[in-house]
Parts: sequence; structure tokens; C-alpha cells
Amino acid sequence: MPPMTGQMINEQIMNRLLSGGLQLEIFYSFIIIACSLMIYFGTKKIYELTGHKGIKYFRLSFLFFAIAYFFRSFIKFIVIYFSSERILEIPPQIFGEITLMLFIYFSSMAVFYLLYSVIYKKIKMKKAYLHLVAIIFAIVVIVTINPFVYLIINLILLFILSLTVYLSRSKSKKSNICADYILLFIFWALGTLDILIPTFLKTFQLIIYLSSSGIFLVILYKVLKRAGN
Amino acid sequence: MAKRGRLEIIQNILGIIQKNQNSINITPLLRRTNISSTRFKEYYLELKEKELIKETKSQNGEKSISLTQKGFMFLEKYKTIISFIEEFDL
Repeated sequence: MPPMTGQMINEQIMNRLLSGGLQLEIFYSFIIIACSLMIYFGTKKIYELTGHKGIKYFRLSFLFFAIAYFFRSFIKFIVIYFSSERILEIPPQIFGEITLMLFIYFSSMAVFYLLYSVIYKKIKMKKAYLHLVAIIFAIVVIVTINPFVYLIINLILLFILSLTVYLSRSKSKKSNICADYILLFIFWALGTLDILIPTFLKTFQLIIYLSSSGIFLVILYKVLKRAGN
Repeated sequence: MAKRGRLEIIQNILGIIQKNQNSINITPLLRRTNISSTRFKEYYLELKEKELIKETKSQNGEKSISLTQKGFMFLEKYKTIISFIEEFDL
């Protein structure tokens, strides 16, 4: 067998990345990151004018979503590159642990801030608690190394989040964002599960990606329509 | 009568200034906003800090208040802001 040249190795790596679904991952992450950043910057003007706390938490939530999805696509890239199943299996392990911790922290913060933007008038709490809970989640995932522990936490959290949003929804007929938020929480949980146990949802991956992107696009459409940008 | 929200009060204050040919003294402004002087002071300082209003001195040394460009923009975008807040339950 002739020795492999540098070009052949590069081609082999590229083929592995592309066949591993990296194109889909990049496209999906690009949509979510672009939507989140457009929401963040599209609401900049009205936040600067009003200094409204709800708008501030709403914007921060989407900034965190953008950062979380950046780390998500990075994790996916590394996993596909090393032909591995999970980020924690790739040596050096500390590298995978830190990346995963950052992803869990930022994605949890995104969801917490979105929830807080809805309930901040009714429940006053220090923002430091939100950061603390997100850090605890990240540590739990790394320490237990058992994705099912995180799955159970996620399911409990999903139930609490959905119930809180449903109960605190505005009685005015103008708002119908409650369903969008609950769907966003569901797909956030599925997205995290997809990172922790990649084989678990492989069959439904395309449906999850399309639905998740759809929700972000719907929210972006509403933001652009209302914020007038 | 329903309690006015923070943004509604701000819109009210800015609207009064605008209707008064963009120049009004502090005492008539306080009277026409229909809120306590303590609350008015809080709003006044906030609006000044956010550069929605500015103080100018007339020739006889009296302090008058007028809208800045940002203040005009707030009034222009008020309906948009309210509909955005209602849409997202903020």
C-alpha cells in the first residue's frame, strides 16, 4: 500500500467530517446563531431608549443562546473530527470537560434569562442565583459523567419552566408567546440531550433541527415585526 | 382609573414637553404630569440621565426643559415599544 501524502490525509479528514453530518450541523448552528444575534442587535435600540428590564433579560437570553450554540457546534465538530461518540471520551479529557461545562452553563443561562424576562415583575431574585444554578448543572454533568442524571434534571426543569411560563402568561389576547417559549424549552432540552447522548436521537435529528430552527425563525420574525427594524 | 406604567408616565412627560413647543419650565411640567413631586424627581433624573431630555437656560436665567433627539425618537417609537413588550410578555 503506497504511503499517504499530506493531501490524501486532508481529503480523508474532510470526507470524514462531511459524511459525519458536519454540513448539517454547521447550517443548523448558523441559523440559530444568526437568529439569536439578530434578535439581540434588533432590540438594541428599544432597550437603549427605555432601559426596560424585561427587554434586557430577553436580549441577554438570546445572546447566551448564540454563545451556547457556538460551543455546541464546536463540540459536534470535535466529536466528528475524532470519530468519537462523546466529547468526554476525547483525550485530553479536561478539554472536553471544559467545553461541555461552558455549553451547559450558557444554554442554561439562556433559558433562565428567557424565563426571568417573563416573571421578573412577580418574582424578585438576585441574578447571581441564576448563574449559580447554571454552574451547578454544568458541574453535575461533569462530575456524574452520567447523561441520564442530566436528563432527569432537564425533564424536571422543563416541567417547572413550562408551568411557570403558562401560569405567568399575560391575560391579554395580544400575547401568544407562551407556546413558542414552551416549544423552545422542549427543543433546548432535546438539543442538550443530543450533545450528551448523540446516538439517542439520531433518527429524529433532522426533525429536531428543523423544528428548533423554525421556532427561532418565528421568534425572530415576531421581533423584527414588533421592533420595527 | 388604572395605575399608569413606568413607560406610560415617561411618554406622558415627554409628550407634554413636545406639545409645549419643546420648551417648558419645571413647575408647570410637574403640575401637568399629575404625579407626586418625589416620583416626578425620580423620573426627571432618569430622563436626564438617559439623555431623553435636556435643561436649557433662557435669557432671564430661568431653567427650561426640552426634548433631545433621543426623546423625540422615544415618542416616535412608543407604540412599537409597547407592542413589543406585550407580544413577548415582558
